[in-house]
Amino acid sequence: MGDIRQSLLPRDVLSAAKELLYHLDIYICNMVQSGRQPPQVDSKTQELVEEFILHAPKDRNTPARRMSALQELQLLEIMCSCFQEQSRDTVRQLMFSALFSLQGNQADESRMALLGKLVSMAIAVGRVPILECAATWLQRTHRVYCVRLAQVLVDDYCSMVPGSGPTLQNIHNASPRFCCQFITAVTTLYDLTTEELTPPLELLQMIVSWIQDDPGLVLINFLNTALSGNQPISSLDVTPLGGLVRWCVKAPLAYRRDKKAGLTNGTAEGEPEVGPLFSALHLSVLQVLMLLPNILNEKGLYGCLALLQMESLAALTSDLSRLLDQADKHTHTSSSTDARGLSQLALDRLAQALQVAMANGALLCSREDLRAICSRLPHNNLLQLVLSGPVLYYNNIHTPPLAFSPHAAHSPIASHPTHPAHTPLATHPSSHPQYPAQPFMAGMPFPFRPSH
Amino acid sequence: MLKDQTMSVVVDGSPLKAMQSSHSHTAQSALSAQELSQEIKSFISGVDTVQGRKLSVREHARCAVRLLRSVPACRGVVLEHLRGVYDEHVSAFLHNLETESDASSGVSSNLEDIIQEVHGVLSEFICLNPRAWAPLVSTWAVDLLGQLSSKHAGRRVAPHSSSLNELLQLWMSCAATRSLMEAYSQCLAAMLAWCPDACVDALLDTSVQHSPHFDWVVAHIGSAFPGTIISRVLACGLKDFCSHGAKDQGLIVMVGDKGSRVPKIGSVVGILGHLAVHHSDSIRKELLRMFQESLIPSSPLSPTSSSTSWESSPQLRRAAVPFLLQLAAMSPNLFGAVSAELVELLRPPVLLQLQVLLQGLPREELDNMLGLAVHLISQSPSGGSRVLRFLADTATPASVIISGPTPSPHEGVREGCDRLLQMLLLHLHKLVFNRSDGAEVSSHHPASSQPKRVIPFLEELQSHVSELCAETLRLERKRHLWLHQLLCLLSVYGGPSVATEAFCQLLTQAHNPEELALAWQLHTTLSSCMAGLIPAAITRCVAQIHTHTLGPRQLRQLLLNLAAAIQSQDEERRGAAGVQSSMAIQVGSAVSGHLHDFGPLLLHGDSAVSHATVRLLSCSPLPRASSPAHLLLLSRAAVTHFFMALRRRVEGGKVGRDGGQAGEAVNCSVLLLSRLAAYSPLTLKAVLQQLVEGALHRGNAGLFGGQIADMSGAPLPAPSLSPDIGASLLDINCRFGTIVNFSGSVWSVFHAGVIGKGLKVRTDTPLPDPSGVMQNVQTLLTVVVQCCSSSGLNGSINSSRPPSDPDEPLPINAEAAKVIAVTMVENVCPDVANGELSWPPEEHARTTVERDIHIRRCFEAHPVLFPLLQVVAAGRPALCYCSAVLRGLLATLLAHWEAARETLSTDYPWHLQASCLLVSCMGEGQLLPPVLANVHEAFPHLTPFEVRLLLLAVWEYVRGNGPMPQKFVFSSEKGLFCRDFSRDGDVARYVAPIHSVLHKNIDRLGHLCWRFQL
Repeated sequence: MGDIRQSLLPRDVLSAAKELLYHLDIYICNMVQSGRQPPQVDSKTQELVEEFILHAPKDRNTPARRMSALQELQLLEIMCSCFQEQSRDTVRQLMFSALFSLQGNQADESRMALLGKLVSMAIAVGRVPILECAATWLQRTHRVYCVRLAQVLVDDYCSMVPGSGPTLQNIHNASPRFCCQFITAVTTLYDLTTEELTPPLELLQMIVSWIQDDPGLVLINFLNTALSGNQPISSLDVTPLGGLVRWCVKAPLAYRRDKKAGLTNGTAEGEPEVGPLFSALHLSVLQVLMLLPNILNEKGLYGCLALLQMESLAALTSDLSRLLDQADKHTHTSSSTDARGLSQLALDRLAQALQVAMANGALLCSREDLRAICSRLPHNNLLQLVLSGPVLYYNNIHTPPLAFSPHAAHSPIASHPTHPAHTPLATHPSSHPQYPAQPFMAGMPFPFRPSH
Repeated sequence: MLKDQTMSVVVDGSPLKAMQSSHSHTAQSALSAQELSQEIKSFISGVDTVQGRKLSVREHARCAVRLLRSVPACRGVVLEHLRGVYDEHVSAFLHNLETESDASSGVSSNLEDIIQEVHGVLSEFICLNPRAWAPLVSTWAVDLLGQLSSKHAGRRVAPHSSSLNELLQLWMSCAATRSLMEAYSQCLAAMLAWCPDACVDALLDTSVQHSPHFDWVVAHIGSAFPGTIISRVLACGLKDFCSHGAKDQGLIVMVGDKGSRVPKIGSVVGILGHLAVHHSDSIRKELLRMFQESLIPSSPLSPTSSSTSWESSPQLRRAAVPFLLQLAAMSPNLFGAVSAELVELLRPPVLLQLQVLLQGLPREELDNMLGLAVHLISQSPSGGSRVLRFLADTATPASVIISGPTPSPHEGVREGCDRLLQMLLLHLHKLVFNRSDGAEVSSHHPASSQPKRVIPFLEELQSHVSELCAETLRLERKRHLWLHQLLCLLSVYGGPSVATEAFCQLLTQAHNPEELALAWQLHTTLSSCMAGLIPAAITRCVAQIHTHTLGPRQLRQLLLNLAAAIQSQDEERRGAAGVQSSMAIQVGSAVSGHLHDFGPLLLHGDSAVSHATVRLLSCSPLPRASSPAHLLLLSRAAVTHFFMALRRRVEGGKVGRDGGQAGEAVNCSVLLLSRLAAYSPLTLKAVLQQLVEGALHRGNAGLFGGQIADMSGAPLPAPSLSPDIGASLLDINCRFGTIVNFSGSVWSVFHAGVIGKGLKVRTDTPLPDPSGVMQNVQTLLTVVVQCCSSSGLNGSINSSRPPSDPDEPLPINAEAAKVIAVTMVENVCPDVANGELSWPPEEHARTTVERDIHIRRCFEAHPVLFPLLQVVAAGRPALCYCSAVLRGLLATLLAHWEAARETLSTDYPWHLQASCLLVSCMGEGQLLPPVLANVHEAFPHLTPFEVRLLLLAVWEYVRGNGPMPQKFVFSSEKGLFCRDFSRDGDVARYVAPIHSVLHKNIDRLGHLCWRFQL
């Protein structure tokens, strides 16, 4: 494979790339047929890809060749059809990863750029195989890059080109796997901390409609992936559940802030209200969580795999307490009933999510742990109930189980049904370290925030 | 040809319309994935994949627009493709213009609608999501504009890049470029809110790349967004400047290679230069604001800081001043705009801030800045004088005594300014002298003459020479040294005209010898390289006098200074060998050449001026040759001034103030007159004549004790006749004898009064102060005697031989005396009839009674006549020419004494005195032999009748021995004319009445007897 470099050199940029793709195809076919393990392209081939397709500068003294925009479009077109025409999934997958799996060198930038364009174009022209490959790529790649890809797609379809939203909407039909990964990436990207990191309305509507139409979409990758121990480090979560929970919980507070800013600008007129969207989304999330026990049991993973990570919940609660503090400060002046309602809504949603997740085996922790991470939060009846857990009636008369919160002393007794069979404290020895009262650093940077 | 109505969709900035149209379009063209794939293929190949035919440019562009709308990943390639479309359109447009045919307009309009479409889509996108699209489109549009303008710059129809307006017109009439421009403006308007630097950066980069063809874009954009563009451009330039480092740039400019290495600052200058045409005001404000804000000590929360926030970076703030200097160095326009107000800004607190700011800079950078500043000042075309004054004010050491217009700043600031000023002088010195070398070369080789290097600073200061001179003459500490040096440079630079002007100004403005010395210093410096400075300066001064541009004070000062200059020559001759010798001589000769121009100033209304003039004239040498007319004028003026001076002395004596000055003026005047008289016979004559006339003039008579007698009784033509036409007949009839003038005839009628009312009342004028009169008469006599005795025939005063005995008065020149005599006769005796020298018998006197009375009245009215007569007498034989006057006077005296009824002659003091003087004069003039001349000694002791007898004897003698000049012979040993009475008839027969009278009064006259021995 390495020896074709000499023949590629004299060619023009486009035909060299074309020819390399052709050779790559043959090479990977051969590799798959020969059954070599592991099926991975060698470094020579990788260099060829970087030189002739990605046009990374090989060394200092030879200036990198550049494609014109038209040539690039042609290359993208060729790639699209190349992946389309390749019938064997394995080959396609290998080829995709040969082209786009990150190598940690300086070619990665052009790799990401090309990938973004390719995926964007594949969405436009409906190239399912590429989206499938991209879904796999999103599962294997560091979340920073996944987020970047998601960002490119959101920019393209939700902000740059008006009216192109429906095209993106179609990916649900075209490739549910990609769609699921895309949701995960997007929820990771937009954590509602700033205005920039608030999802565009169009995107939000799209995601809500996807999940409403098909709650199983959220779990599709979880279902389709053979969960082995070799999950790449810092990849995206297996499901977007964590991100979605964060959205739903933080939304009332985050959007109130936005609304306030919008009101001062006087431009928020006519915007559709996002509240119902998040309510619907929250319901969908809870429904998905309810689906979990069956699936987990089928896979034999019930109680072994936490789909909601304790760490991310801890980060969420700390964010939430910060937001609530801010809201408190602001409500001194503004109408407080409205504000308090929104705060309570956020806390309610948190409590519901925690309860349902714990009950359905998506969250594996003790109530002690929960109390620890929720200790900074203000009083909320529902949360109080969730945190105190299933308490026997007679116990309640003498002493409340744990006086972890000043508000807890007068909390009414939990009266909603609990699963008597479910005793997670007993079945699972606590695998998590005990959280200190204040384990969160509020200013901890989000490591893969887009840098603009 | 231009579709303005379609363009207006975007022009009036109504995104609504555009959005509506595009939305409907989107709805139509919602393409399936399959179709999109086809579309992409078609776009790539340029062939309609369905029908298999080649796409036209138009269709291809349509396809691209569809992709732009539906495939986000394609936007880069679409925009690139559209470049071609736009280019195509521009080519077609220009081709159209070139062929000037309307037939092919279809082609351009074809593409024009597609351009409309693209423009609509883009502007819609920008409206919907400016954050995403504006940077993209603005970069694209600017780049494409740059490309198009450079590519088509060479076209025949394209105007030259220097004619910005035509370019603008051309490109704005082209739909493609106009659309690009509008798109860019839209982007800019959107981006200004959040990232203005980026778009201006792109603009600058492109401008650098495609200059100068791109300038029209910048100009257009700049005038659309003047405020923001200016500040942005400045901020960008500053950042770039800061990152490039200011050091090497300074050197580059000094060498003269204009900023080729520094791309941004060059285009900053270019852009601001364009904007300066219409927005110079805002540019100036912006530059000054930059300067001021860079000085304000960095505070974290500056309220004025805008989004640019260069103010927040201390490094940028430090670089701001060098940057502005650099900018100014590269663009005279900008510099001109700023310099004027900058100086106003530099108040002491600002200077202190500046000093604090600059202290942080390394030394060599400071040196560079200093050099740059010096360069700038020397190149500044306007406001130089203000800059200079500011520098001098600031650099002048603080003093208790002299407080400048600004309170003294910090010492460090002062030193800085001092240094700057010295550097400036040094720099100018270099420039000036290098330049004059070049001028010399070119004068040797006129063919290869190169234009003189202009130094705007000096050029401008040329019009402020007078202020400079005034400043210099204030003699403040260091300041006058600097300014004097600058004056020298300016003079050398400006050539003779400026040098002359400066010299002139110094001469005019100097008030004391120290200040005047500056003028000499200037002359010393300049004399090496400039000839004829002094004559030119004097000529210029004279011109100023003629044009009355000088006020009296200045004029006086100028004259005094000139006089001082000439007098320094005299001092030098006395032994003090000075540098000024040659100069004094030069001044003297130059002044002497213009004496006639100074002459009229003697009669200047301001006494100080006339005094100064007389000072000057009295000490300046007289020209070798001068035209008679000038001399006459001059002498007339000098004489008039003399009388004026006398009058002033009298007045001054009364008031007691500046009597000394008036006295000095008289002395100077005397000196001047005597020198004038000595100059040539002509002037001698003129001076004397006018002196005598002046002394007898009605206006001056009072000075010499004269009384303006009402002469109407005398047969003078009545001046009131002609204007008195409307007077009453009675009045005219009362004026007896005025109807018919019988004057001179036997039938003359006196009109001494109306019968019954006594004599006519003489107007009584108050008698002037007798001592003053005495002094005046003495002065007049001094002048006259000096004039007469200066032996004018011998030429100038310089060659006059010193008198052997200073006590011995010089002999009176006969010619001069004759002039006096003749003039006196003319003035005193108006009737030429009976004017012959020889005397008739005494009885004939009755025919001239009227004239004689007039003569006597003259003598009564003008006591000064007697002394004059004495002078004439001394200049024998001049008295002969007074014969008629003497005769007339004698005749009236005879008549008086005959009619006198008092017993003693002393009862008629005036007549007695007149008789005495008359006889003594005639004796002095040798009209009478000594025996007869002595009779006057006896007069006071006699009766009137006896006096008459004696006078009759005198008459008889003169009748017998006529007063003829030819009877006098020149005796060389005495140097005088003398009359030998022995040749005349026997005196004895005239002496008989004398002896009779002696006998009659021997008791009283015994002591006089010896006087009458023959």
